[in-house]
Amino acid sequence: MEKTTPSGNPLDRLLDLLCLTPLGISALILLALLPLIPPFNQEYLIRWLISAAFIAALSIAFDFTAGYIGIVNFGYCAIMGLGGYTSAILADRIGLTPWLGMLAGALAAAVLGFVIGIVTLRLRGIFAACLAWFFGLALMGLATKLMWLTRGPLGLRVDRLFASSSNVSFYYLILTMMVIIYVITRWTTRTKMGLAFKAIGQNMEAARTSGINPVFYRIVNFTLSCMLAGWLGGFYAHFYGILTPDVMATAKTVEVLAVAYIGGRGSLWGGAVIAFPFICAMELVRSSLSNLPGLNLVIYGLLLMAVMIYYPGGFAQFFDTYFRRTRSRLLGYLVNGGRNRPDAISDRQAAAIISNPIR
Amino acid sequence: MWKIEPDRLLRWLKSAAGISILTAVAAAAMATMDRGPHVLVNAVVMGGMLALVSMGLALVFGVMNIPMFAHGEYFMIGTLVAYYVFTPINTHISTHPDSMLSALGPLITIVAAMLVGAIAGVASEVLVFSQLRKRSRENWVMNSFLLTVGLSVVLINGHQLFFGADFKGIVRFWSGAPFSILDVFISRDRAMAFFLAVLVVLSFWLFISYTRTGRAIRAVSQDETGALMVGIGLNGILMLTMALSCALAAVAGASLLFMYPSYPSVGLEPLYMAWFVVIIAGLGNVLGAVVGAFIVSLLKVLTVEYIGSGWDFVVPSALIIVILVFKPSGLFGSEVRGILDK
Repeated sequence: MEKTTPSGNPLDRLLDLLCLTPLGISALILLALLPLIPPFNQEYLIRWLISAAFIAALSIAFDFTAGYIGIVNFGYCAIMGLGGYTSAILADRIGLTPWLGMLAGALAAAVLGFVIGIVTLRLRGIFAACLAWFFGLALMGLATKLMWLTRGPLGLRVDRLFASSSNVSFYYLILTMMVIIYVITRWTTRTKMGLAFKAIGQNMEAARTSGINPVFYRIVNFTLSCMLAGWLGGFYAHFYGILTPDVMATAKTVEVLAVAYIGGRGSLWGGAVIAFPFICAMELVRSSLSNLPGLNLVIYGLLLMAVMIYYPGGFAQFFDTYFRRTRSRLLGYLVNGGRNRPDAISDRQAAAIISNPIR
Repeated sequence: MWKIEPDRLLRWLKSAAGISILTAVAAAAMATMDRGPHVLVNAVVMGGMLALVSMGLALVFGVMNIPMFAHGEYFMIGTLVAYYVFTPINTHISTHPDSMLSALGPLITIVAAMLVGAIAGVASEVLVFSQLRKRSRENWVMNSFLLTVGLSVVLINGHQLFFGADFKGIVRFWSGAPFSILDVFISRDRAMAFFLAVLVVLSFWLFISYTRTGRAIRAVSQDETGALMVGIGLNGILMLTMALSCALAAVAGASLLFMYPSYPSVGLEPLYMAWFVVIIAGLGNVLGAVVGAFIVSLLKVLTVEYIGSGWDFVVPSALIIVILVFKPSGLFGSEVRGILDK
């Protein structure tokens, strides 16, 4: 599938290795420079950018499950919260450094993801989503009630990762984490595994008949996606400095889900691109119209509904349709990179390959 | 129809449905002997109301194939309407204690909530779900689920935007001394809520079993294409289903206003519980949902009684995860539904 060799240009090769297009890398450079440009170098704007990058990274990892094997992990933020709590409690009780703590959080979340993956094996679409949701509710209930461990709704105080009062270093950290998560998920989906994920998501029976073992792929997918969530949870804990069971609430998952779906399911990058303007716009609405509480979330919900009804492919599909298929060579190079065709196979192609393997 | 054949009875008792119902009854009986009858009374009162919410949820799933995440919001609409209708009635009652309204007021309130709930259901069908239905058929279940997630966010925050986030509650619907059954004092409101639930469930059951329209609804839930072929107007049935299920949730919300004051996310708890119910009863199984509602409410009451409040999400959800692992299609996969479908 991925036999198209990039051109000899070393820059193109590097970009291909990072799974980025020239446009993508310039957007990343712009994001990296943003804290230095005047309107964005104020602390509150940097906080917005951090939360946007955080949601972006979560939505990439979320889309890895939802967009590929077609199971909406509705307890996603609970798993993220598990990673956060693990890291925070380890730092608090045995003084583990947060850097290792974040990895421990990722490990805990990966174990839970493995368990959820095994338990949901027999279930389809909505049942699996519900099961993951019930896992999330149970976790949130545990975080509320195990007062001796988590201090429940009182909130667990956590040391911040960097002692400085400025948030810029946090911003660069989360940006790096976002890129790492993107590259990991992209590398995984670029191999034959990605094709297998799509095949399972489209039609499990057909995939099984074509010799794909759904048990293995579903568990791998769940474990990896939950592990990334746990890692991000560690960042969350050590950035905000306080953890309450609210981070595990379904509403948080809905936020990630909305961003991922408005960005475009199955694209990985769509949610990350949408998150920055979207989260900043929401924060702007919330802070400027503070006498109308809830307005930003109403817009949020309406946008999600409009996208689901009128354009289920989201921003990624829009981009693929109107920009990727351009005739202009320069623009084509910018959005497609050294490859001569879009590197993501579309759902339709995958379905055709799976349903007609002889072709 | 109701002749008891020992052979079939034995087979039913050995099925998952029979085992779980017997276990629930036994657990209820043991807890009642252990801790006193209030366990049973609480479970029954809450189960009645939960049955209303989860019946609507099961109906929407069975007929329209929508996994409704916004169902709690119709509960919220019910509480909101009930608050705004009952508050002026209440001031009138307090100045004229002997007027007709003191008896009829609560009923007027609940009927008003039911009507508004039905209107809200029709509105969301016309504005949201039929739009999606016109445009996409593939991947319908997941798309409509995400749509209801958006709807839920809009309704919750719309409430906050227009009515504020404060608690809007009442003290009681019916004044007067509480009833005493089995040495348990049960307030008039709770008793009335339970009677209302029984009344609504019964009339709903009669409607769906014996009327022409009810039969049409069941036909659509079994096979949409077949229903279209025999001349059933699909759009009308879908709209009616939505209206009915939202009205059921709104009735539950209105008659529980004394327990759940109206605030933006009041619907979340009933929503979670109702999802527990329909998952263990099997999605789309309306009669199973009634039985499941009592099982789940018993589970919740027992958890609060023996383990402590606050654990009432942990224990039921853990148990439901276990049930799902062993019975992926729910406890009453086909047995109970067969009765409804006869």
